[in-house]
Amino acid sequence: MNDVVGPKSSQTTRQAPDGCDTFPKLLIHNAEKRGDLPAMREKDLGIWQSWTWREVLDQVRALACGMTALGLKRGDKVAIIGDNRPRLYWTMVAAQAVGGIPVPIYQDSVADEMAFVIDHAEARFAMAEDQEQIDKLLEIKDRCPKLEQVIFDDSRGMRHYRQDFLTEFDEVQSRGRAFDRDNPGFFDVEVAKAKGGDVSIYLYTSGTTGQPKGVVLSFENVIRTAQNGIDFEGLTADEEMLAYLPMAWVGDHIFSYGQSYCAGFCVSCPESSATVMHDLRELGPTYFFAPPRIFESILTTVMIRMEDASWLKRKMFHAFMAVARRCGVDILAGRPVPPGDRLLYALGGLLVYGPLKNTLGFSRIRLAYTAGEAIGPDIFDFYRALGINLKQLYGSTEASVFITIQPDGEIKPDTVGKPAPEVEIKIADNGEVLFKSPGVFLEYYKSPEATAETKSADGWVHTGDAGFLGDDGQLKIIDRAKDVGKLNDGSLFAPKFIENKLKFFPEIKEAVAFGDGRDHVAAFINIDLEAVGSWAERHGVPYGSYQELAALPEVYEIVREHVAQVNRDLSTDPHLASSQIKRFLILHKELDADDGELTRTRKVRRRIVADKYLPLIDGLYSDAERVHIDTEVTFEDGRKGRLSADLKIGAAETYEAEPLKRAS
Amino acid sequence: MSQVQKTIGDTLLKVEGISLSFGGVKALADISFEIKQHEILAIIGPNGAGKSSMLNVINGFYHPQEGTISYRGEARRRMRPHVAAKQGIARTFQNIALFKGMSTLDNIMTGRLLKMRRNFLWQALYWGPAQREETEHRTFIEKIIDFLEIQAIRKTPVGRLPYGLQKRVELGRALAMEPELLLLDEPMAGMNVEEKEDMCRFILDVNDEFGTTIALIEHDMGVVMDISDRVIVLDYGRKLADGAPDEVRADQHVIDAYLGVSHD
Amino acid sequence: MMFFLEIVISGLTTGVMYSLVAIGFVLIFKASGVFNFAQGVLALFAALTLVGLMEKFGLPAWLAIIGTIAVMIALAWAIEYFVLRHLVNQEHIILFMSTLGLAYVLEGAGDILWGSDVKVLDIGLPQGASDWLLDSYGLYVEKLEIVAAVVATALVVVLAVFFQRTRIGRALRAVADDHQAALSIGISLRTIWIIVWSVSGIVALVAGIMWGSKSGVQFSLSLIALKALPVLILGGFTSIPGAIIGGLIIGVGEKLAEVYLGSMVGGAIENWFAYMLALAFLMFRPQGLFGEKIIERV
Repeated sequence: MNDVVGPKSSQTTRQAPDGCDTFPKLLIHNAEKRGDLPAMREKDLGIWQSWTWREVLDQVRALACGMTALGLKRGDKVAIIGDNRPRLYWTMVAAQAVGGIPVPIYQDSVADEMAFVIDHAEARFAMAEDQEQIDKLLEIKDRCPKLEQVIFDDSRGMRHYRQDFLTEFDEVQSRGRAFDRDNPGFFDVEVAKAKGGDVSIYLYTSGTTGQPKGVVLSFENVIRTAQNGIDFEGLTADEEMLAYLPMAWVGDHIFSYGQSYCAGFCVSCPESSATVMHDLRELGPTYFFAPPRIFESILTTVMIRMEDASWLKRKMFHAFMAVARRCGVDILAGRPVPPGDRLLYALGGLLVYGPLKNTLGFSRIRLAYTAGEAIGPDIFDFYRALGINLKQLYGSTEASVFITIQPDGEIKPDTVGKPAPEVEIKIADNGEVLFKSPGVFLEYYKSPEATAETKSADGWVHTGDAGFLGDDGQLKIIDRAKDVGKLNDGSLFAPKFIENKLKFFPEIKEAVAFGDGRDHVAAFINIDLEAVGSWAERHGVPYGSYQELAALPEVYEIVREHVAQVNRDLSTDPHLASSQIKRFLILHKELDADDGELTRTRKVRRRIVADKYLPLIDGLYSDAERVHIDTEVTFEDGRKGRLSADLKIGAAETYEAEPLKRAS
Repeated sequence: MSQVQKTIGDTLLKVEGISLSFGGVKALADISFEIKQHEILAIIGPNGAGKSSMLNVINGFYHPQEGTISYRGEARRRMRPHVAAKQGIARTFQNIALFKGMSTLDNIMTGRLLKMRRNFLWQALYWGPAQREETEHRTFIEKIIDFLEIQAIRKTPVGRLPYGLQKRVELGRALAMEPELLLLDEPMAGMNVEEKEDMCRFILDVNDEFGTTIALIEHDMGVVMDISDRVIVLDYGRKLADGAPDEVRADQHVIDAYLGVSHD
Repeated sequence: MMFFLEIVISGLTTGVMYSLVAIGFVLIFKASGVFNFAQGVLALFAALTLVGLMEKFGLPAWLAIIGTIAVMIALAWAIEYFVLRHLVNQEHIILFMSTLGLAYVLEGAGDILWGSDVKVLDIGLPQGASDWLLDSYGLYVEKLEIVAAVVATALVVVLAVFFQRTRIGRALRAVADDHQAALSIGISLRTIWIIVWSVSGIVALVAGIMWGSKSGVQFSLSLIALKALPVLILGGFTSIPGAIIGGLIIGVGEKLAEVYLGSMVGGAIENWFAYMLALAFLMFRPQGLFGEKIIERV
């Protein structure tokens, strides 16, 4: 399974735009090439203020010289803490101009997290947005002995702060202007010193375990990856982008900083985090990124608003959304569509999709990305059906974002795309996705062991995610690598992937799949009382309790069909065909956090379930038709009791593995 | 943190021998006190102690039967609400009094009514000086919106806002009047801890940045002791104590009447 | 077809009259929450005063109009001073009763001052049918009705600008929304009331002139106030556009009903059609076409 996909290293390497290999050089380049075009916007006092590239250069020059006047030296780290503000973006490039290294920190970090990063990065300078961040910095300053100078952007509420290491942004700039007058040429000489291979930024990633790690990226990492994305998607200097995701997150760094500087497009900052949706509508970006949960919450808002809308609007919305679901995705993909549908879709565009996209601020979107977790296929298709070019990508901080991107015309809700330009991918024997690219980080700051663990000597980086490449060349991520096991025939077993497929059916509330070290896959099913109960009512099937309902032959039949459907899906995928569910049973009780079977966030505790229901698992892997179980349960009032049941074991149809034939 | 000591100025408002009764019920009995320039004065006391009545007397909603009010040295028997407003006294209400049908922006804009100078013909034509004036007012309002961090609800009809935000809008409208004296009637009632903290910060910042004198009624003793320069304690229409927060806290009368007894 | 058009146009012009009276109601209702029963009588009183000034003092029409406006403003002041001021914070029903009394006082005063006979009001507005419309389209439309429509439109535009753009307009909206809050931002309720009653008086004067020029100034003029009630129910008590649209709907509706349905139910539909329509509205849309939906936070 060592299939490697992507270009070999012999392929031509892309040139940074006009030979600019650092961001300060790109800034100067943009100021010369498109000096009077807007580089940044920010909504302030209710009005969009904008700065041209030339003005940004002027601001950055003053700031860089000012920080130098305050004592910033080459190699010093500059912590940057706050919401997306033009001045904070300028701080990044200003620091880079004089050899400093920006270290953006998540603005919602609590003081302890902030202390860790500042101390670990050995930041000497900090740029804070406002009083709130300054208060946190003052609280932790004793724990960060290296921190010497703190600059603040917004002076609101700061007039009684008298510490001499605090300097207001404007003050720094005016000192910088004086410094610039006294040392003309200093700025340009400093900018020229840096080379593409030099460190450009530390991005701290909050790992799921342990302390955050500082990912060190070079200018070349960021610029080449950004430029590859620009070339791949055909982005131009005319894009409009709203910077609203944390500056400390690699995505924002590539989209609203790297790509903006490389392509020369304008980035706008919202008025406040609460006004993002409103500002989005006013701005109408052409290029947009949002994690799945944001797309999901926008959709929910739309649906709720539609429930409140007038009868006519509601009818129209549902009628035309049905049209869009039928043909919108195909129209966007440029596939043939019957002329009648095409006409209806055009009418819908006029009456529903257009106004809707306008209200959401999506009218002008040419390219929208989502990434980070799996997006629900219905949510994904909703936006595509509206004609919004939403794509998935797969990336990581260690890759300077892009690992795979869905190419135009090859968009699928359940894959994350093909390797991005200059990216090579291979799948390790344990199913883990490995990649190699020009965006591969230099190291984890001050953690050589962690670096060695993640990045092999020959440059392959472990993502920690398990996945496989389909016949269409698209990567499919199935689980965290550590959760993936193996069936006895050596094929991959990704329990969460299978369980999610089962839970997609409304009648199935929870599922637990077994198969690691077994010959085949078997599963426990929890039915959804509400969904199955209402089915039973509709069909006049009497039942007295959850246990009775779960044991009904009709219910077994429903579940069996669903399992078979999942098997059919799995069989189309050569990598997962052997993960088809042979036998299943419907549990007589709901898995419950009170019984320790679920976590409080309703995630299955696999090990506990396996121990507790061992007889059931044995039954699943035997030839028995029924199996007896006796378990302890906790009632709602806290009393304990025992529950015993004879459970039927269902067998589901399995299918011949057939490779995907559909042309992509 | 080295706080700069703020300077409390001369007397801004002085009430002398105020008595107010409704029918037979005596709401205020011979109350006298002063409000000094730039200070934050808290009026506390149990329910029914006459706190709100006191504010209503100051801005002219109630007319006391006895006593005088001197504002900026000018003594008068009764205040009229619109005259009080013209002279620079703004207020908020215990049970929010906003223009429910208007947006946040329009509500705060009404606070500028008294500052609008151009005659109505100019305004009607919305031309020349009137337009310029409108822009100036709008800029001022935007600064308040920024100050109170309510950008996101600029265009929202206030009736739809949650309680805490309505209180903030009400404060915004009072600030739009650029008052010299700001009367706040339970500015933090019904708020959660976070909203209270925000409101405290706004009150302190208003006092600090604009030099506005503030008299407020509040139930939350922690808040009162934290933010006020001076505290007056009322009980059954009488004044029990008047002094710095620490003095008041130590005052035996106050402890007996108010602080000692458990109170929500 | 021409016949139908003529009926519609005639209905529209009657509707304009209803609207004018209804606007007076809306203004006062918005500013003070008072349902001013005397609005119709105000129109009568204004028309009587105008005729009186012209007849008894021989003033030219324009001077008499200015004089009448002055009288209406003085009246507004007097109403505030002698009536409203003493009833602040009273129940709405009490304020309503006071306007009922006011209606009788004004009617009596008009009678005593100017006599109770039907008077001809001629301030030089064109009379007769529009020759141009008759010749070119075969449409019979009274010139006076055209003038009435033009004047009413102009009045509405002026009022809209006045209330939307000016300080007083903003103050009025504030008062309409919340008295206490309005006071706290420095609005004098009394000033607002005098202004509103004055404006209502002037609107009443316009209505009085139009109605009086058409059918003479007589005491039945005060009865158009009753027609304004269904107009308000239709349009909403707080909406000036509502008052206009409501007036037009009722004007056209009752004329059409009279002509096309009248024969079926024995005629005289015109007299009760408006009330039936209002009743139907009360059942299905009590806030009226344009009335404010009450936004309550849950």
